Amino acid sequence: MTGELRRTRGISVAILSGCLALSLICVVYPFYVIWPFRAQGARELAIALVVMQFRSAATLVSVAAAVAALIFYWRAQPRRWRRALATAGAVFVCVLAALARVNIYELMFHPDDRPSFAAASGTKLDKDEKVIAVKIGGTARAYPIRNISYHHVINDVVDKVAIVATY
Amino acid sequence: MWGRDVAGLRLTFHLAGINNQNFLMRDEQTGSYWQQISGKAVSGPLKGSQLPFVHSDELNFGTWQSEEPLGTVLQDAAQYRSGYAPKDWDVRMQRAPTVIDFREHGLKGRDLMLGIQAFGVRRAFLYDQVIREKLVQDHVGAEPVLLVVGADGQSVRAFRDRIAGVRGAPDFYRMPGDQPATPGALLMDASTGSEWNFQGCAVSGKAKGACLEPVEVLKDYWFDWRNFNPSTTIYGKK
Repeated sequence: MTGELRRTRGISVAILSGCLALSLICVVYPFYVIWPFRAQGARELAIALVVMQFRSAATLVSVAAAVAALIFYWRAQPRRWRRALATAGAVFVCVLAALARVNIYELMFHPDDRPSFAAASGTKLDKDEKVIAVKIGGTARAYPIRNISYHHVINDVVDKVAIVATY
Repeated sequence: MWGRDVAGLRLTFHLAGINNQNFLMRDEQTGSYWQQISGKAVSGPLKGSQLPFVHSDELNFGTWQSEEPLGTVLQDAAQYRSGYAPKDWDVRMQRAPTVIDFREHGLKGRDLMLGIQAFGVRRAFLYDQVIREKLVQDHVGAEPVLLVVGADGQSVRAFRDRIAGVRGAPDFYRMPGDQPATPGALLMDASTGSEWNFQGCAVSGKAKGACLEPVEVLKDYWFDWRNFNPSTTIYGKK
């Protein structure tokens, strides 16, 4: 019986540790690679983007496995402080799963979800302010750089053509 | 500037990452990541896809408004207005550090360039040099190209140096003085004696009514242009 419990504890700790490692990689590796103040290598960037692609699903599986492992661990481990440590590990896996659903760049660079436009004649801009200008069909539109350099991305439709203005 | 309709989907983009200080966009519909400068999907289900190109110009507001008095302008989002950049944003950014550097041709990472990707090649022009010269007649690959500085002294457009019905590349000359005989005329060509405005259209002479074909110009920092266009050549540099 003691041997059985010891094996259950061992397997549970291994699963919890694996889940913790996987979740940490899912959150930390892309954050480390896509850090604006360092150069990105092509290969590491490709890996980071793949991790970002799949980390929501991966961390969800990780949470499920960590919770299951925790339940088995509690049944096999009578010592309170070890139970508390395992619980903290599982909670950390859950926190990492939540963080894996957050893209820091999408929080930092606020999108203008509902861009509004006004006639050039009624717009107060200095003559020497720079704009990105587009003309599609008969429709001309300008995106002031002081505005678009903040949002960086404007999803728009000009003369029924869907465009993305970027800066 | 890119179109958003790809593979039967209308994509909505968010800024979602950075690749050597050129940003990455994520589309909501597939979760693919796209490189801003190239419009190409670099990761995700649409990897390898290309956004349709949409021609745009970087101009001074006054110049644009005089050309397009009925145009519309993106308005500030009130809740973010305090975070918007001053109007000399690109000049201020010239002091910002870069994470990559290409010490070639005596250029600094934040030197502003005018980049052209056309006719199968890439060629860059130092912005300050073009502003000084006011009119640049050059070749991009085998194709003769004009870069023209607007009357505001800051806006630049590029055109194919070809006039319909004229053999070869005509010589263009900058009109002297600030008050041309024909309003808006900036250039004259030696082949037809026509005057041309900043939109690349003949406003007087034999070619009146004809327009030069625009060529897309990307105003970009040297480090960024060079990073994504390693085969670039540079006007005036060997």
